[in-house]
Amino acid sequence: MIEAVNISKHFDHIKAVDQVSVSIKEGNVFGLVGTNGAGKSTFIRMLCGVLKPDEGNIRIDGMEVFENIDAKELFFYISDDQYFFSNATPKDLKNYYKVVYKNFDSERFDTLMKQFDLDQKRKINTFSKGMKKQLSVICGISANTKYIFCDETFDGLDPVMRQAVKSIFAKEMDERNMTAIIASHNLRELEDICDHVGLLHKGGILLSKDLYDMKLSIHKVQCVFKEDIEVRQIFEGLDVLKIDRRGSLYTITARGTAEEITSRIEAAEPVFSEVLPLTLEEIFISETEVVGYDIKKLIL
Amino acid sequence: MIIIDYKDRRPIYEQIAERFQELILKGVLEPDTQLPSVRSLAMDLSINPNTIQKAYTELERQGFIYSVQGKGSFIAPNDRLLQDKKDEILKVVQKLAKEAKEIGITKDQFIHKVNLSFEEERSDD
Repeated sequence: MIEAVNISKHFDHIKAVDQVSVSIKEGNVFGLVGTNGAGKSTFIRMLCGVLKPDEGNIRIDGMEVFENIDAKELFFYISDDQYFFSNATPKDLKNYYKVVYKNFDSERFDTLMKQFDLDQKRKINTFSKGMKKQLSVICGISANTKYIFCDETFDGLDPVMRQAVKSIFAKEMDERNMTAIIASHNLRELEDICDHVGLLHKGGILLSKDLYDMKLSIHKVQCVFKEDIEVRQIFEGLDVLKIDRRGSLYTITARGTAEEITSRIEAAEPVFSEVLPLTLEEIFISETEVVGYDIKKLIL
Repeated sequence: MIIIDYKDRRPIYEQIAERFQELILKGVLEPDTQLPSVRSLAMDLSINPNTIQKAYTELERQGFIYSVQGKGSFIAPNDRLLQDKKDEILKVVQKLAKEAKEIGITKDQFIHKVNLSFEEERSDD
């Protein structure tokens, strides 16, 4: 269990993370999404104890993380911009991590390196960007830690590798109840692997919810009514995020279960209506739009 | 066996559960055969094992499968479920017939189409 309570972090006058509280359950995949500069990486770096929060505290299994080796042994952090020792080879890396992580599985490391077709004796600085990411993932899996933090790790991998890494994650989760925190912009992909999603914007957390609850609690309706009708009235009491009208076709985004929304629509006797759940990408867009992060402002 | 349609907006566990229901009702998966383990299916599909577990829990709740401690999940005998599904389909046909009548399709036209589909199925066998 990872618990962050009211953590904030400033860099000079910039508020990177502002009063964020989340708790992450064991055996889950926590997806961290957010607008650019929302504070995702800063948040993860605080979880790892790389940065010390200005306010609030973070506990991993009940232990403070900052400068606490016992807590740090519990997780592996794959950073966004990875650092490797100069002139090091994957073999050196293995020997280094063996010292740091007590349960480091050297055999697993060797087999994974073979499966991913990476040369253990080649210098890491001759590896491509994607290969470096692969190497970090292999280290992370072999370290056998309870938690693994990935900062945009999947984004640098090709589609085949992404599938492979996701399968490996699935196995680790089922076998030893591994918990992962994944920050990514690839929402389509997070949808496959996350149990829980936290959405950050400008340092604050907009929502943190079970993925299925989230998908089932917001819907998009397309409908055409017989005559002019006050659409807001139909949805009175429900939280309507957006109403868009093209000719007689309304596109409405509202919070509520499919049944709730369908019954409202049916009551107004539409000519045509369709209630659809939103994809994670659409949820992201509509939730950030509500707080003023509007795509139209960017393109018009 | 299980294919996920990524363009489908429904949650993945619903898709998986529905696909299994289909396979069970069509008789592709016979009673008492074992379902793939959560881990192997999660690895095959590269998705979260918790999602598969959720689909299995749902199927078990609906009575499509049963689980044996330490062994895994198995297909339940499904006569009643098949009957339910048949009833459901007949209800849809009834509704369709009503709609057809309202829009001006004659009884002969409707039955002709129905006959055609049934014969098509037969020639497939």
